Amino acid sequence: MTKIFNKTRIFFQKPENVILIVLLIILIYLTIIPLFSIAGDTFTVHSSEARRIRGSEVGDLTLYHWNYVFLSRASENLFYKPLFNTILVSLSTCAFALIVGGLFAWLITRTNLRFKKVISTLMLFPYIMPSWTLAMAWLNFFKNSNIGGAPGLFTAITGIPTPNWFAFGFFPIVIVLGLHYAPFAYILIGGILRNMDANLEEAAVILKTSRFKIIRKITIPIVMPAVLSTFLLVFSSSMSAFAVPAFLGAPVRFQVLTTQMFRTLNGVNPGVGYIIASLMIIIGTLILTINQIIIGKRKGFTTVTGKSSNISLVNLGKVRTVVSSVLLFILIAISVLPLLTFTLQSFLVEPGNYSLDNYSTIFWTGEGSPDIASGEPGILKNKYVYKGLTNSFMLSLAVAFIAGTVGILVGYAVAKNRGKRSSNFLDRLAFFPYLIPSMAFGAIYLSMFSVQRGIIPSLYGTFAILILVGSVKYLPFASRAGINAILQLGKEIEEAAVIFGVGWWKRMVRIIIPIQKPTFISGYLLPFISSMRELSLYILLVTPSTSILTTMLFQYNEKGWDQYANAIVLLIILIVLTFNFIINKVTGASIDKGIGG
Amino acid sequence: MPEIILKDVTKKFGEVFAVKNLNLTIEDRDFVTLLGPSGCGKTTTLRMISGLETPTEGEISIDGKIVFSSEQQINLPPDKRNIGLLFQNYALWPHMTVYQNIAFGLENLKWKKEEIQNRVQQMGELVKISELMERYPAELSGGQQQRVAIARTLAPNPKVLLMDEPLSNLDAKLRMEMRVELKRLHVEIKSTFVYVTHDQLEAMTLATKICLINEGVLNQYDTPLLIYDDPVNRFVGDFIGNPSMNFLEMKIEKINEDSCSLKNDEMNFKMNFRAKSGEYTNGQEVYLGIRPEDIQLTESDKNTSTIYSALPSGMETIVKVKLKDVILSVVAFGRVDFPVDTKIGLAFNTSNYHVFNKETSQKIATGDLEMF
Repeated sequence: MTKIFNKTRIFFQKPENVILIVLLIILIYLTIIPLFSIAGDTFTVHSSEARRIRGSEVGDLTLYHWNYVFLSRASENLFYKPLFNTILVSLSTCAFALIVGGLFAWLITRTNLRFKKVISTLMLFPYIMPSWTLAMAWLNFFKNSNIGGAPGLFTAITGIPTPNWFAFGFFPIVIVLGLHYAPFAYILIGGILRNMDANLEEAAVILKTSRFKIIRKITIPIVMPAVLSTFLLVFSSSMSAFAVPAFLGAPVRFQVLTTQMFRTLNGVNPGVGYIIASLMIIIGTLILTINQIIIGKRKGFTTVTGKSSNISLVNLGKVRTVVSSVLLFILIAISVLPLLTFTLQSFLVEPGNYSLDNYSTIFWTGEGSPDIASGEPGILKNKYVYKGLTNSFMLSLAVAFIAGTVGILVGYAVAKNRGKRSSNFLDRLAFFPYLIPSMAFGAIYLSMFSVQRGIIPSLYGTFAILILVGSVKYLPFASRAGINAILQLGKEIEEAAVIFGVGWWKRMVRIIIPIQKPTFISGYLLPFISSMRELSLYILLVTPSTSILTTMLFQYNEKGWDQYANAIVLLIILIVLTFNFIINKVTGASIDKGIGG
Repeated sequence: MPEIILKDVTKKFGEVFAVKNLNLTIEDRDFVTLLGPSGCGKTTTLRMISGLETPTEGEISIDGKIVFSSEQQINLPPDKRNIGLLFQNYALWPHMTVYQNIAFGLENLKWKKEEIQNRVQQMGELVKISELMERYPAELSGGQQQRVAIARTLAPNPKVLLMDEPLSNLDAKLRMEMRVELKRLHVEIKSTFVYVTHDQLEAMTLATKICLINEGVLNQYDTPLLIYDDPVNRFVGDFIGNPSMNFLEMKIEKINEDSCSLKNDEMNFKMNFRAKSGEYTNGQEVYLGIRPEDIQLTESDKNTSTIYSALPSGMETIVKVKLKDVILSVVAFGRVDFPVDTKIGLAFNTSNYHVFNKETSQKIATGDLEMF
């Protein structure tokens, strides 16, 4: 008995073991237990459902939801069609993003394209900006008056009304999501192309291989794992996208799984929403697990690195300047024009009327009059906007602080206990939230914390639940950074201090953190920016008193108050770009680098 | 007759000269090593011969055919130059098996299927990898990958084989083995080899001729033993040989037709010239270069010095001795060891002592030494 006691005592004398155990308990509670809770909720009668399920009382067990989703007359419109739409949208987005991103990657790394620096910087823009900005811009440009409301810029300028299929639904969703994720494909494929040993292609040149055959037989097979991995990541990201289909699909009732989840969870049938959330969690986890396996295999593809010298570039010849200019023009159009339209729209008194006397600053600085937008004051005078701004900042700061700090601790515990089963488990657990689609993650917290759980009171409607869900969701960014930083450092650096009897706290603060400062800082900053622009994670959990900028944007947009929505978009973009710029300058990290496992 | 001729070849990266006015003739069936410290332009030279790098100026011809000429605007692509290139990191294609790697080049030449099979078989036997044909590069050891890379390069039977530090990723023992193999291979396949290395021992042991480059400029192009015995400047003397040549700062005085005296605060020699190659004046500052094996340790009390440290390796012992205030490297052959701080005499009995101009570092004269 004393032996066991002694063993335990020795085990807990090491700080990394204490951290490991404590984190394991907390993370199991925050990631695994909620899964059971949400599973339970798919079989439970909720208060809003008591009337539609005859003879039931709140809290009863029921198979009604499962039956309703899969086997009822409503299933077609409720589930199967949105599922089909989701898959179609995701596949098309993947194809679009891969073709555009891959083409750019190849042009930048393998040809003598002009303006490479500008192009590769601009290329990242659509990804740094939140996905819904492009959706808003699309509406600003191409919306038509069939649905009601004012036509967009395109119709105003050319007089040609845009058809419904072009203005709303499947087509623009794929274009917008595709453009948003193309940079992602560009980063991953471009990274491989750039790091791929140029000698591999040169060896083929020497052996008299034609340019085309080199691409077909050498380059493509070697980038294939990256392409596959991009495909899976883009697929799972577009599957969990909410804002874009909500903005562009809603006018024509084009539903996907996320919009259905939002409708049902916010409406009369939460049980259905929980089922959709569960399904998305399963699909998301599956896809990204496959991806991890592929990435793991890719290790076998790395070869001895030598001097990857300047590979001879494909000469684009006569079309060089033309191709370069066209690409540059498109990129500028995609990255700058949206910002202009937001600005423009936010100054229009009457939407759709672009004549000069229609411009005004009332939506920025107006005091609010009863005939415009129910008397809502301009956003610089609007106390709700300030409240949302403060909330967004406070939330993101708290999330960044918690995720970043826990990330370092996870990194320390995992790296120090490397090879042990418990350490691998903690590693997986800290990465798990990454696999779950954002809105589904919001749903499981809704299910978990909307009622009292033991000593934890019901958190629904509090700020705490937002901080909690954000911190756990973005922990993967920080824990990746933390694990890499500490693994890279090696044991000896810390052991040298242990020899001198330096305590754990001092070792962390004086040695480990200072040496790996940039990595740790990015572990704080990435969650900050991500949280700042997040909508779908928080939208199920906010209440009027805790609303943040992005959810306000969503509400303004739903109400059709375009000018307010555009003004807020501008505000958010400004904040995101500023912080991304600061991060880039300070640490060299950037939001575009932090994602992708 | 695959002879490679470089005429006034210059390569600039921006404003920096990587290679400057290089003139070089590599004769048929030579085994030439391009030797020099890292960043000296040797790899650039090799890549310019291969066509992967384009010279800024000059002319290159292979086998009597001009493959590059800045004047005539000729620049043949690598695949038209009939060369083979072996990369430092092997550059094996990770997604192809050993067989596919070797066969790939032959397929491009539109060989028939049986011919390819036979040739791959033959190459496998030549470099002893016949039993690895179905494996992927990731499943091979470094030495095996190296052999596959050689087989892949040799399969199309190139007239010229270019190699870029092919052994630098191998461990010492394997490197020794591969050197032996390469030297045999050179004789067996009757091609011209151009070999880049920064390892002077590798260059000495493999080459028929060494081309020593420093900072983009050709310093000396000679057979290994000539380079060793007759360095044209201080850099060559210093770079070749391990342990390196001793250099003593001296002043040249009392110049005669066939002798002079060399002096500094501690030492005073008379040198009898064996060969003279440069101008010099009375009182000029020079370096006296002495190879470690050209100093003999003696029992006599002439030039008594102190053993500073001794490093016996069995076959020979490298001894650092302190003569007055100068530390000299000496090589003593045979199984000997010397206790630190004991006294020992020195003798200078050969005639391979070199005098280098301190300013230009060019060699002035060679001869024997008498000690005053």
